[in-house]
Amino acid sequence: MKLQTVKEHAATNKSGHSVSLLWKRFRQQKYMQLFVWMGLISLFVFHYLPMFGILIAFKNYKIASGISGIFTSEWVGLKYFKEFVNSYNFETIVANTLGISFLKLIFAFPVPILLALMLNEVKDGLFKRAVQTASYLPHFISWVVVAGLASVFLSENRGIFNNLLLGLGLISEPIAFLSDPGSFWGMAVGTAVWKESGWWTIIFLAAVSGISPSLYEAAHIDGAGRLRRIWHITLPGIRGTTIVVLILAIGSLLGGGLVGSNFEQAFLLGNAVNADKSEILQTYAFKVGLSQGRYSFATAIDLLQAVISVILIFGSNWISKKTTKSGLF
Amino acid sequence: MRKRTFEDYSIDTIVYALLIVIFIVTAYPFYYLFVISFNNGLDTGLGGIYFWPRDFTLANYEKIMGDAKWTLAFFVTVARTGVGTLLGVVFTCLVSYGLAHKGLVFKKVYFSLFVIGMYVSGGLIPFYIILRHLHLLNTFWVYVIPSMLNIFFLFIAVSFFREIPSELREAATIDGANDLKIFRSVILPISKPLMATMALFLGVGQWNAWLDSAYYVQNENLRTLTYRMIEVINRGNIPTDAVSIEYAANAVRVTTYSLQVTSMVVAVVPIMLVYPFLQKYFVKGAMIGAVKG
Repeated sequence: MKLQTVKEHAATNKSGHSVSLLWKRFRQQKYMQLFVWMGLISLFVFHYLPMFGILIAFKNYKIASGISGIFTSEWVGLKYFKEFVNSYNFETIVANTLGISFLKLIFAFPVPILLALMLNEVKDGLFKRAVQTASYLPHFISWVVVAGLASVFLSENRGIFNNLLLGLGLISEPIAFLSDPGSFWGMAVGTAVWKESGWWTIIFLAAVSGISPSLYEAAHIDGAGRLRRIWHITLPGIRGTTIVVLILAIGSLLGGGLVGSNFEQAFLLGNAVNADKSEILQTYAFKVGLSQGRYSFATAIDLLQAVISVILIFGSNWISKKTTKSGLF
Repeated sequence: MRKRTFEDYSIDTIVYALLIVIFIVTAYPFYYLFVISFNNGLDTGLGGIYFWPRDFTLANYEKIMGDAKWTLAFFVTVARTGVGTLLGVVFTCLVSYGLAHKGLVFKKVYFSLFVIGMYVSGGLIPFYIILRHLHLLNTFWVYVIPSMLNIFFLFIAVSFFREIPSELREAATIDGANDLKIFRSVILPISKPLMATMALFLGVGQWNAWLDSAYYVQNENLRTLTYRMIEVINRGNIPTDAVSIEYAANAVRVTTYSLQVTSMVVAVVPIMLVYPFLQKYFVKGAMIGAVKG
């Protein structure tokens, strides 16, 4: 009994001592702590509160109940998820989301690699720089301007793209790309590839430049032509980068993968005429949430997309680890 | 070097041809915008203009500059870019300077909180609800306050500040400077390259932003250039009939179309002006971005 009290006393004394030491250090760095805490407040308000806000997908949330309503409103379980799955446009929206996303993965992923391979074959520095400079400029331009460019170039009655196709005899009638529902997926993939391919090329070019020149020389001496050098040296040399980028692309698949921008496109290029092909989960959630005030329903749709994305990134990482022995984490 | 083979010639031909096409496809649209913006709008409607203005005029620019709606949108955009960039750089730098402090108490906890914040997002709807209850909706501040802390640049800045030799700090401490004074007179001056990079990227983001102006603001006096462009584009996308009515209504040299193109030039030119500086930094940025995702 007596021994125990002594022990406890010693323990509290020790921890009390280290707490006061910690406190002393904390006081010494009070300005640093103040800076960090300012950041923590911003982090909490604009990142963590919205994370807790996901709870309303399972609740009957009323906007009038304020922020505390996120925690206090009544639980309704999976009501909104069921409602969305059973709604008349569920299949269209999911099909559009998946369709556009997979098309982007298939077409947008190889383009930067091909571009990097081609640029690597160019020996003229000035030409190379000119092409690169032009190709990643669109990355820095707002999607609004890109949507404007699409409306200028793809217009039915005066668009240059239609003129070009007509002139080459590929079509006999101008195509109404901007309103024809059948054109939306292609337009989405095309504009996204146009905007972001140059940007992603930088990564692959960096990977290519990391390959030792002696490998090329050796292959050259062995009589390997340029195509074979690309195939046996360059492509294996950028394999690691390619896998990492591919996993990233699959992880963000539903947002549009590498080239992203599913949301921006559906918003800016989507309209009442092509809605059947342009409405996706994110835009639908946003519209239902903000224009009809159905916040819980909209959050449920958003959450559904987030869950699918998490499954995709872990799944693709797992497959990559199994098959190639390398992964992101 | 050995002789060039048939393979060499054919690869070069294909590669150069494709790259020239890519160059044209990415550069020409911007060039075309300039051409159309300097051409008489009605004349543009006749078609056939590709390389230089046929009926040169400044009317499109005069129209935009004379329209209070557009000039106001321009100033709002300039203001949000200026204020947003300044706040973002200063705030993010302060927080990261604190985080980079050697022997910071609770450092591990803080870092995990920021990392989680970078990767996990609550989505647009809960974010909107928070903005609404903070009474940020429909104010200028909705453009700049939520984006004040940029977690991505926070980590870049932390690693930058850690590289600063601790002797610098120690010397200043011996001279009797406190942490605040050290930050102002020692750290800030040597952090100019970091802050320039941040300012460029945050500035471009602010200049290009459109969702907040379209959905978080209803006050017409707070609309940005991007929002006004969305308005014109939506009008222009309605097929032929509406456009011809527009032509008839505007029996002047300016049409909806020429106005749309001119506004796009106004939105693109500032980006092009800072583009050479962006280029200097973004190879590094893209590499870090790839790792980050």
